[in-house]
Amino acid sequence: MSDEVLLRATDVVKSFQVRGGKVGSKKTATAVNGVSVDILRGETLGIVGESGCGKSTLARCLVQLLPVTSGSVEFRGTTLTGLSRRQLRPFRHEMQLVFQDPYASLNPRRTVGDIVADPLRINRFGTSAQIDARVRELFVTVGLDPSYVQRYPHEFSGGQRQRIGIARSLGLNPSLVVADEPVSALDVSVQAQVLNLMADLQDELKLTYLFIAHDLGVVRHVSDRVGVMYLGQLVELADADVLYDEPLHPYTEALLSAVPQLNDGTEVERERIVLSGDVPDPAERPLGCPFHPRCAYATDECRSEDPALVEIRPRRFVACHHPLALTHNIGKDTA
Amino acid sequence: MRDLSVSFATRQGVVRAVDGLSLDVAAREVVGIVGESGSGKSVAMYSMLGLVRDANATISGSVVFEGREILGLPDKEMQPLRGGQIGMIFQDPMTALTPVFSVGWQIVEQIRQHTDMTKGQAKARAIELLAEVGIPDARRRVDSFPHEFSGGMRQRVVIAMALSCNPRLLIADEPTTALDVTTQAQILELMGRLRDTHGSSIVIITHDMGVIAEMADRVTVMYAGRPVESGPEVDVVRAPRHPYTWGLLGAVPRLGERSERLATIPGNVMSPLEVPEGCAFAPRCEYAMAQCAQRPALTGTGHQHACWLGEEQRVAIRSDGKGAP
Amino acid sequence: MFSFVLRRLASAVLVMFSISVMVFLIFFATPGVNPAARIAGRSASPQVLAQVSAEFGLNRPLPVRYGLMMWHLFFKQDLTSYVNIGVKVIPQITGAAPVTLSLVLGAAVIWLVVGVLGGLVAAANRGRWIDPLIMFGGIAAVSIPVFWLGQVVGLLTQTKFHSVFRWLPGSGYVSFTQSPGQWALHLLLPWLTLATLYAGVYARVLRAELVNAMNEDYVRTARAKGLSERRILMRHALRCSLISVVSLFGLDFGSLVGGAALLTEVVFGLPGIGMLTDTSLQNLDLPVIMACVMYGAFFIVAASAVVDVLYAVLDPRVRVVK
Repeated sequence: MSDEVLLRATDVVKSFQVRGGKVGSKKTATAVNGVSVDILRGETLGIVGESGCGKSTLARCLVQLLPVTSGSVEFRGTTLTGLSRRQLRPFRHEMQLVFQDPYASLNPRRTVGDIVADPLRINRFGTSAQIDARVRELFVTVGLDPSYVQRYPHEFSGGQRQRIGIARSLGLNPSLVVADEPVSALDVSVQAQVLNLMADLQDELKLTYLFIAHDLGVVRHVSDRVGVMYLGQLVELADADVLYDEPLHPYTEALLSAVPQLNDGTEVERERIVLSGDVPDPAERPLGCPFHPRCAYATDECRSEDPALVEIRPRRFVACHHPLALTHNIGKDTA
Repeated sequence: MRDLSVSFATRQGVVRAVDGLSLDVAAREVVGIVGESGSGKSVAMYSMLGLVRDANATISGSVVFEGREILGLPDKEMQPLRGGQIGMIFQDPMTALTPVFSVGWQIVEQIRQHTDMTKGQAKARAIELLAEVGIPDARRRVDSFPHEFSGGMRQRVVIAMALSCNPRLLIADEPTTALDVTTQAQILELMGRLRDTHGSSIVIITHDMGVIAEMADRVTVMYAGRPVESGPEVDVVRAPRHPYTWGLLGAVPRLGERSERLATIPGNVMSPLEVPEGCAFAPRCEYAMAQCAQRPALTGTGHQHACWLGEEQRVAIRSDGKGAP
Repeated sequence: MFSFVLRRLASAVLVMFSISVMVFLIFFATPGVNPAARIAGRSASPQVLAQVSAEFGLNRPLPVRYGLMMWHLFFKQDLTSYVNIGVKVIPQITGAAPVTLSLVLGAAVIWLVVGVLGGLVAAANRGRWIDPLIMFGGIAAVSIPVFWLGQVVGLLTQTKFHSVFRWLPGSGYVSFTQSPGQWALHLLLPWLTLATLYAGVYARVLRAELVNAMNEDYVRTARAKGLSERRILMRHALRCSLISVVSLFGLDFGSLVGGAALLTEVVFGLPGIGMLTDTSLQNLDLPVIMACVMYGAFFIVAASAVVDVLYAVLDPRVRVVK
């Protein structure tokens, strides 16, 4: 990991118009609400949050699959937001996506060889012989038998399909791979295989990952830094170890405690904090801190004022009026 | 449940989806069945309740529920059990409810199927149940339709429905797989609480050892339709004996430590047509030996396992750091 | 729910307006033709042409012309057919509409009952001999052309076995107000003929939907609730499957009432909308053609509006704004 910024997002906002219940009324649902984040070359940045928190929308905004409502995204110093399709083209092959559902994201009527070859063909990678050779090479890279190229997606298991999805994303030698819940549809044992594969590929191909998931265990395992998202905002961003050892935001604390523990002596015992209720509708975001209706520590300040994401210590960002380790645990620290 | 076997005749041959599964569930006990998809854990439960409606399926063995053999009962005699004494919770709350009826209607329907309550009484009970499973404003929400609930809330509705007739046994098929971690924690907590208040026994089916560790008193690990290890949860999680269980445990990403690589089980769950005569796990097992060509029986008392590895070999492998979770 | 109905009706009115504008433009604003001659029909005298020109404001701007046309068509109702000079258009339509409506309504009842029953019985007996039998009947019914079936039925009842079917009247139409019994008797064969095709289609569609529905997760839930198979089929699966049947029905009903029952009308000599359209087309009687088109469009739009409302009744998910 270096300190070179590969992708920088500044105050990215994405909102959608949704129709309201009454005739003609329209509401604005803000899926991503002012996210600023740097992705450093060679790192894995994990983004974690519940479904509906806007993490997938953020990912699509960062790679310009969705136009941002406001804010800017820079890639290697070039501002991408506002560029035309044609101008974006040279950047497309640098940023590739791996999707959640390996069953739905592969066209069932095409051979997996064709699926992997598509990005190569579209970007005129070379002659068809060169493309064939590259596809076979990619199959080997992701641990699939290259003789499978003529088969169809339904002939593969979930884990193998996700390997195909990864192979497709690697064809054009991207520098950034955005993986949107790549393992959440897989069994635990298969999930481990895919995660290991992704780690190997990162070392081998010097990839940068933006890794999106709702499972903090998975995110923690793969990420160098982790950002926690809630209702379209980053509420905490820190190095993975630090975030785990000492969560500052009450939401992070709750997320950590929700991960099922094996209780086989290898883990810190955490007191289970069960959050009540669901994530609020992004069209009706609460005043003040978005998390306050579900937060055990909420005060009047939290109900009226939305805390900004501040660098509270070097490389530690948190958006909370009363960061945990700094306030509630003071007694523990001094004891 | 004794020696339950389910096989399907397919064009490619006979698929033994469940092969000799035995299971005891005591009153108020939570028993976990764990295994990868395709290991036959759901099929076992469905066939027990006569929910496998495939003309090509052959089911054998014996299931005794409260002293009565229920396997192979005709539909008519099975119906009072299903939803009455045995409730079920399913994996995907998004599709488990009929989209065109209100959740209250669906709960009332089940209550009235099994009791003599009037519509009014049943509706009052439905509201009570919805409130009990933690649906806010249950009195109003009882008339809402499934699509108006979030995934977690829908799973609560399904649980309320499963509990509506005070079942003695609750079967939960991957009840939290489709949910967020935070919602999963809510649902697991709810199920634990309801076990205490309703006194039902629970069979929970999952592929996630973490869920087992949270919930279960005892656990059976299944591979390719066969039980490979079974015992009290603490023993199986802390001192697993079967190499497959080692793999399952090792694959869970830990919050506590960040290892470079997760332990994996090489290969995929094999096609059920290719299950070997001997130990089903042998083709993927690091420690397979000649003896594995014969099928190991489930041995031991209390903590049982089906593996040819001797105690000393196991200890040696484990102390090597290999196979350790 | 109420606001949904209101919204749907408003959009139906809007669609009707757009259709009327388009029809008007196609018939009377195509460049290069004298609209007066179109209205007045072939070989009209110059006086008639001048009269038409004045009456319809043909030298005035388009919007005014459109307004005048609609005024004559709907409010004054004095638009006249220029082929059968002096015969007003609207009474022709209002005379033909009840015939078509009687025919289609009766047939619809028959095909819905037969189709839904057929689909249900077939789905409930999947895997037994009765299912493929019904499905074969369905495909046979779909494949028989209406004109052929109508002719054969007519032939059999009126000539070949006339002694048996003596109680059946010949072709023609008796209005309901004149004699309800005769009305039904006269329409019996047309009803059955028209319903055959649709009953076949509906039985097959419903069976396919039911079979799909019975494999859904919610049916598994219903079984786990301890419901009987019969109740699962009749309540849970049927309710969800009816949604696609209703949408099909809306389209079919609308287009049939709008004139698509032409073949049946011709075969059985029923003076309905289809027949009227057919005759006016052959005579190039533009005012009548235009009125028929507008009338047909009206029923299709109205039927689809009703279907959407029914949809919302059946499927609560639709009630949320799309």
